[in-house]
Amino acid sequence: MISKPATGKYPFVKCVPAEGFRGQQVFDIGLCVSCGLCSRDCPAKAIEMVEVNGKKRPLFYLDRCIFCYQCAESCPRNAIKATDIFELATTDKSSLVVKPTTTQKNSGA
Amino acid sequence: MPSNGIDILKILEDKLQNKPVQIVPGTLGTAAIITKSGSHRDVFQILVDADEKTAVVSITGIDLGENLGVYYHVRTSNALLTIQIEVPKANPTLASVNDITPSAAFHELEVTDLIGAVFEGNPSSGHFVLPDTWPEGVYPLRKDVNACEVKLDPPAAEEKSDDGKLVKIVIGPQHPALLEPEKFVVLVEGETVREVRPRIGYVHRGIEKASESRTYLQDVYLVERICGICNSCHACAFVESVEKILKLEVPPRAKYLRTIILELNRLHSHLLTLGHAGLEIGYETLFQYFWRDREPIMDITEILTGNRVISSSMTVGGVRRDLKETDIPKVKAVLSGLKKRLPFYVKVYREEPTIGLRMQKVGTLKRENALKLGVVGPVARGSGVDIDVRKDAPYEAYGEIPFKVITYDAGDTWARMNVRMDEVEESINIIEYALDHLPEGPFRVRAPRVVPAGEVVNRVEAPRGELFYYVKSNGTAFPDRVKVRTPTFANIPAFLTTAVGEPLADVPPNFVSLDPCFSCTDR
Ligand code: SF4
Ligand code: SF4
Repeated sequence: MISKPATGKYPFVKCVPAEGFRGQQVFDIGLCVSCGLCSRDCPAKAIEMVEVNGKKRPLFYLDRCIFCYQCAESCPRNAIKATDIFELATTDKSSLVVKPTTTQKNSGA
Repeated sequence: MPSNGIDILKILEDKLQNKPVQIVPGTLGTAAIITKSGSHRDVFQILVDADEKTAVVSITGIDLGENLGVYYHVRTSNALLTIQIEVPKANPTLASVNDITPSAAFHELEVTDLIGAVFEGNPSSGHFVLPDTWPEGVYPLRKDVNACEVKLDPPAAEEKSDDGKLVKIVIGPQHPALLEPEKFVVLVEGETVREVRPRIGYVHRGIEKASESRTYLQDVYLVERICGICNSCHACAFVESVEKILKLEVPPRAKYLRTIILELNRLHSHLLTLGHAGLEIGYETLFQYFWRDREPIMDITEILTGNRVISSSMTVGGVRRDLKETDIPKVKAVLSGLKKRLPFYVKVYREEPTIGLRMQKVGTLKRENALKLGVVGPVARGSGVDIDVRKDAPYEAYGEIPFKVITYDAGDTWARMNVRMDEVEESINIIEYALDHLPEGPFRVRAPRVVPAGEVVNRVEAPRGELFYYVKSNGTAFPDRVKVRTPTFANIPAFLTTAVGEPLADVPPNFVSLDPCFSCTDR
């Protein structure tokens, strides 16, 4: 009785999360109106409003983030968007601090 | 209303005339019973005499300024009562009801430790939840205490066996056989267990206290993290409580979607523990089989909610995302796949000799003891006590969905596991029914952030049994008090009594048959 193993071949075969998966959130500075609602509602205190070119913008501490997406839900401008990036393990916590710079892609952490 | 003929409020009214007892129907469950220390014992005696299912669900200790509130939440076969007593902080003593119903014992000790009410007749021997080196007279749930400022000395070493005849075996807090950390000291004479002493609190995170400094919205995510496995049950119990205070009606579609997610919680939890029981008795193949078949359930949880474990799908006013029409066939395919495998597993659990030898007549909890100790969920149902919040006080869509409450009479480890085995099929049927009868319409309504003053109690049936919440609002966006009583907390006394007199080797299967969850227990 030989059958295929039940386990996947990760990391050799990439694992694709389901559509709608709550992975690392990305922030689009172009849409942000600096209202601070994301930071106010974040249950993990993972968002700090920092100044970028004279405007307050959210900075994400992904090491504290619990990926609940309340920030994305609270944002009136849809400036925080979902991705399916989940491979965030690192030996350097500082690489999990995502600064609001220009319109950004994944920090590459 | 009373299905089995017991009208408990009428009985109380008749018997308590001329006593300092005020009955307020419709608040804090079926009714709140406001009384004084001493008279509450009369109330308990009447309840215990009138209804065999009377048990203390939980005790909320609450800081009311000058006074401490001690609220006994009591379940009878068709009602949930709250017996309210106030004692002055200067002399916070009241009489224990431990001798009338042993189900109160654990809860009273917890209240003593965390808020400092003293129960005469149930003396505490040292800390029950807090660390051994926690300073005397500091009660973390009082409003003027900031638990972060308490400085702790390192714990002392475990002292050796206390008497020559009994050998002390310390299981936990960190132990290879325990998946979660908690300490049990087992005293054995030869191979036979003579006593089990629990020491809970190792992973106490102070979530009840922490919830007071977060908004209701943030607290949904906080309470969800009390337990990884039944996370949606916690979130649901909490949002339902807030909705009750807000008098907010949730749309029917949201109720069905919540029911589906709650049952997915139960499914993966039961499959986990049915497999884990295999591991504890050295039947690792069974463990692997169950966990393989649990995996697709995790996948559909991810499809529905966005994450395979912590679903974050409940919110005050409904659910956070709708179910897509295109996802329904995927969910159904997984469920029917699992259903096809079930007869094999049922046969293994019923007939397999290894299972029979290691589980039958092990840890037998007789029906009368199950009632006395106030155990819940599959532990109660395995001893022939037919309690299930989904039937006794239906919430969400459970009132509209047909399902059976599974009970077994044997009361042993085997019976408790077979209750879960049979509940797997019931859960699948509930989800299928809910998918077929999913109402149209919105899946959430807007909810205000500021909650008017009020207090409520709420229960849901988590995979491990009745999960209880008490929420008090003071009219702001932050709750005043959140009390959580998890099913494992109510079920530990069963293990403490049934392990005694049995061989040490029977401890693991007996223990796992409670499906214990310690991060739940400790909060
Ligand atoms: S996903 Fe949740 S925890 Fe993470 S930053 Fe957003 S609100 Fe905060
Ligand atoms: S909620 Fe949205 S718009 Fe407001 S500060 Fe955050 S990202 Fe910017």
